[in-house]
Amino acid sequence: MRLKEYVLHHGRQFGTLFGLLLLSGILWALTPYFLTVSNLLNVAEQTAIVAIIAVGMTFVIITAGIDLSVGSVLAFSGIVMASALQAGAPLVLGLAAGLGAGLVCGLVNGLLITGGRLPPFIATLGMMSVARGAALMFTEGRPVSGFSESFRSIATGEVLGIPFPVIVMVAVYIAAHMVLTRTRLGRYAYAIGGNEEATLLSGVSVKTYKTAVYGLCGMLSGLAAIILTARLNSAQPIAGIMYELDAIAATVIGGTSLMGGEGNVFGTLIGALIMGVLRNGLNLLGISSFAQQIVIGSVIIIAVLFDMALKRGKR
Amino acid sequence: MKRLTTGLVTLALLSWAAGCQRGNQTSSDKPTVALVLKTLNNPFFIDMKKGAEDAATRLGATLIVQAAEREVDVDKQMQIIENLIQSKVSALCVTPSGSKEVVPAIVKANRAGIPVVIVDTRVDSQALKQAGGQVAGFIGSDNFEGGKLAGEFIVKRLGGKGKVAILEGIPGHETGDSRLKGFHSALEGHPDIQVVASQTANWERDQGYNVFQNILQSHPDVQALFACSDLMALGAVEAIASAKKTGTIVVVGFDAFSEAREAVQKGTMDATIAQSPYEMGSRAVENAYRLLKGEKVEEDISVKIQLVSR
Repeated sequence: MRLKEYVLHHGRQFGTLFGLLLLSGILWALTPYFLTVSNLLNVAEQTAIVAIIAVGMTFVIITAGIDLSVGSVLAFSGIVMASALQAGAPLVLGLAAGLGAGLVCGLVNGLLITGGRLPPFIATLGMMSVARGAALMFTEGRPVSGFSESFRSIATGEVLGIPFPVIVMVAVYIAAHMVLTRTRLGRYAYAIGGNEEATLLSGVSVKTYKTAVYGLCGMLSGLAAIILTARLNSAQPIAGIMYELDAIAATVIGGTSLMGGEGNVFGTLIGALIMGVLRNGLNLLGISSFAQQIVIGSVIIIAVLFDMALKRGKR
Repeated sequence: MKRLTTGLVTLALLSWAAGCQRGNQTSSDKPTVALVLKTLNNPFFIDMKKGAEDAATRLGATLIVQAAEREVDVDKQMQIIENLIQSKVSALCVTPSGSKEVVPAIVKANRAGIPVVIVDTRVDSQALKQAGGQVAGFIGSDNFEGGKLAGEFIVKRLGGKGKVAILEGIPGHETGDSRLKGFHSALEGHPDIQVVASQTANWERDQGYNVFQNILQSHPDVQALFACSDLMALGAVEAIASAKKTGTIVVVGFDAFSEAREAVQKGTMDATIAQSPYEMGSRAVENAYRLLKGEKVEEDISVKIQLVSR
C-alpha cells in the first residue's frame, strides 16, 4: 500500500524513468554495442558535464527564472582556472579559481535580477555575451592547453572502474537533492517559484535566496568547466556554446516546470541521461548527424507534450 | 499508456533515422571504417565525404560518416569518437576539430587497438607524444605552401606595394595558423606591402561579411584581402559589393570549392587555393583499409595544392 502511494506521489519521475528504460530497451534491441558496461560508463561520463550544469539550471528554473549564461560562464571559468594553473598555481588554488569565477558570474546574474530588477532572461543573456567575450579577450581566442597529470586525472581517473566525472556527478546530485529538500535554500526556491509575492510577504529575504540560487548555478558551471578542461586537456574560450539549451532541455524533460515552483533534480538527471543515451545510440547506429538533430529535437518536444497532457489530465 | 505512445513514436523516429542510412549496417566480414568530420555543413567536408564513400564502395568496406553540429565543438567530436570505439569500428579517420583537444580521444582509440588516420588538420605532435598516443598516418594539404601561394599572388597583383587585410580562421587551429604563416612568409622582402588589419571571422561566412565590412570602415583604402577560407572570402565579397567596391579589391580565398571557383570566373574573387578534399577522403579510407590488411602506408601524405585564378 505504501509503495503504491509512493509511486502515485512520484508518478512524474517514474514516467521519465520509464521513458529512459524504454529508450534503452529499444537501443538494446537495435545494437549489440549499447548494453555493455563500458558503453554505459561511456554514456554516463559524456553526460556528466551537461548533467552538472543542469542541476544549477533546475534550481534556477524552480524559482521561475532562467540562466542563459551557463555555457559562457563554463568557458570563462575554464579559462580562469587554466590560466591560473599555467601560471604555476597549485592544483587546489587553480580549482578554487575556476569555481570562484563561476560563482562570481552567477552572483552578478543574481544581483542584476534582484537588485537591478532585470528579467532573468535579459540579465543572463547579457552575461552570456560578457563572459564569452571576456574568455576570448583574455586568451586572444586561443585555447589554453597542457596540464599536469594530477589535474588530468580529474577526468581520466577512476574508482573501482567508475570514471571520476561520473562519481562527481552522482555526488552533486545527492548533495543537490539534500539542499533542495532539507534546507531553507531549497524550500524557499520552491516558494519563490510558486508565488514570489507571498514568499516575500511571509518575511523571507527573497533577494538573498534568489541571488544565492544564481550563484550556485554559476559555481556548478565552474565545476563542469573543471571536468571538461581535464577531459580535453585544454580550456577553450569557445567551449560550451549551446550548453544552456541542453541543460534547459534536460531540466524540462525531467519534469521541472518552466513556470517555476515544481521539479526535482533526479528528474533532471534522467532528462540528461535520456539525451546522452539518445546521442550515444544514434552514433552507435551510425545514423547521419542531420537525422540525429531531428530525432533529438522531436524527443524533447514529445516528452514535454506528454508531460503537459499528463498534468492537464490530473487537474 | 501515454508513455507507451511516446516510446512507439521514438521507435518510429529511430527506425526512420536508421532507414536514412540506406542499410549500411555492419555486415559480417566487411571492415567498418569510420570517418569523423569537423562538420557536414561546409562544402569542403561534403567533398571529402564523397571521396571517402567512393573509395569505400570501390574497396568493399563499410563506411560510417559522423560529424558534430558545429565545426569547433571539440567535446562533441570526442563523444562521437568514444561512441564509435564502443561500436567496435575497425579503423578511424578523423579531421580534428582541435589539434590538441583530439589527443585524449586518439589515446582511447589506441587503447582499443583501433588505428587512427588523421586527415586535413594535423594533431599537435608534442601533445600527442606527452599523452603517449599514436596516429597511423596523416593525409592533408601543405597549408603553409598554400598560404605562400596566396601571398605571392597578392604581391604580384599589387606590384609589390599596397595595403592588405587578412581574415583569419579560429586562432589555434593548425590549418589556419599554417596558412597565415605561409602568407606572411611570402610578404617578407616586400616592405611596401602593409598588413593593415588581421582579424578572425571564425571560418564563417556571415562573420566574414561583418568583419570585413568593419575593416572597410576603418581602412577604406585597403587594396587586397586574403581570407583563410573561401566561406569567409565569399562573405567579404558581399561586404565589398554592398560598399560598391567590387573589382577594386583583390580577394584571395582558400579551399576552391565550386561556389568560389564560380566567383573567380565572375571576377568577384581573384583567386583561391585549391585543395583536394575529395582526394583526402578517398586516400584516408584507402589507407585505413590497407592498414587493416596489415600493409604499410606512408606516414605523411601531401595532397596536391594549387592556385586557381582566371
